[in-house]
Amino acid sequence: MGQPILRVDGLRKSYRRGLLRPVETFRLEADFTVEEPAVVGVMGPNGSGKTTLFELITGSNTPSAGQVLCQGRNVHEVRYDERDRLAIHYHQSYQVRHFRRTRPAFLMQRAGSDYPIVHLFDEPQFNTQDGYIGFMLDFFRKLRGEGRLVFLCLHPNERFHLEILQEICERFVFVRNGRLTHADSFDELVGHEPVREYLGALLR
Amino acid sequence: MALFEARGLHKRFGDQVVLEEINLAFEAGSLSGIMGPNGAGKTTCFNVLTGRYRPDRGSVRFDGDDITGWAPHRIVRRGISRSFQIMNLFDEYSALDNVVVALPSVRSRSFDVLHAIDADSEAQDRAETILDRVGLRGRERVNVRSLSYGERRALEIGVALATDPRLLFVDEPTAGLGTGATARLAELIQELKRHTTIVMIEHDMRFLFGLADRISVIHWGQVIAEGTPDELRENPWVRRSNLGGLA
Repeated sequence: MGQPILRVDGLRKSYRRGLLRPVETFRLEADFTVEEPAVVGVMGPNGSGKTTLFELITGSNTPSAGQVLCQGRNVHEVRYDERDRLAIHYHQSYQVRHFRRTRPAFLMQRAGSDYPIVHLFDEPQFNTQDGYIGFMLDFFRKLRGEGRLVFLCLHPNERFHLEILQEICERFVFVRNGRLTHADSFDELVGHEPVREYLGALLR
Repeated sequence: MALFEARGLHKRFGDQVVLEEINLAFEAGSLSGIMGPNGAGKTTCFNVLTGRYRPDRGSVRFDGDDITGWAPHRIVRRGISRSFQIMNLFDEYSALDNVVVALPSVRSRSFDVLHAIDADSEAQDRAETILDRVGLRGRERVNVRSLSYGERRALEIGVALATDPRLLFVDEPTAGLGTGATARLAELIQELKRHTTIVMIEHDMRFLFGLADRISVIHWGQVIAEGTPDELRENPWVRRSNLGGLA
């Protein structure tokens, strides 16, 4: 096979406060590779950096260091109006991106893709009453089957959220304080003490 | 071949993708349902299908013609009609007048049509037949303002039928209706289905699953699931939901 579907390479985002003596208030660091199409579950407390990670992958947020390669293409070097052809961020039901445009399009690369390769679902509304969960999970499977990479970000607060993650995800990322923990199975994931602490009563 | 087919529809408003690769096919003589959560892009999709918005990419075909980007009135003339989620009726006029002014034979005349209507018995007959079809027999002379909400919905569909469409789009017909009115509307649509190909956006899943031959589920501006009501109901998560209990 050619390039990995996603390579997050030495990615760092620092937020600082103060002009003269800036103090770092938050730092996200990520370095991982996804070789093949997959459904990846992303979990972590609010404010841990999940959405920042998604924004860095879609290129709507600029990293302090490192790069994101989507099938070999550096997302942050692609024209703003074509970045969502590589990676698309779904905020619940609709999609919003605000790209800070700092370079003219002709200096940048084309996406080379019509339909997004990486699909990041940020806390979709799951409701056991309306039946849409089934349709959404089938859609994630379909995307994966068509060679796409799916990230499903959830902040589980009900037991069925864990059922969803267990059913659909083949690997997991746990984000806490800007650090990522990776797991290749649900069992491995919940073997980590910080994850057990985070999920608390849902695991019992 | 399907009577109506949309392929690879894509629509963006500014930075926001509202439709992403929409593929839909509606067979002649069928009732196709479109459902999806709020903000999923259903109404935008309808607006692209019926010519109100031009897609950025993709094509719409009707009965052999590529109608992508055609003006709405041209699409209507070609045989596609649409009833709206927000009703477009003249409140000060009777149910009959509302249908008469929508008739192509009347529309093609001057703008001052309402004064000439009474004299046109052919148009009146035609409008009466339509009102009968939508269950408004005996209500022809009632002002729209005095009709019940359910009757206005039926009249809205009657207005859409005035152009004698081969394909009728209906946008959320049960919105705001009570149980009784919804049941009457289901009967009306069941009856219309015998003569007209129908595409219906609907929020009320019970209503839609009871009437549609095929259903497309739209979410995130895409068709995320598609099938007959029975096929969609087989999904274990659907069976666990309220929808699972529907007969």
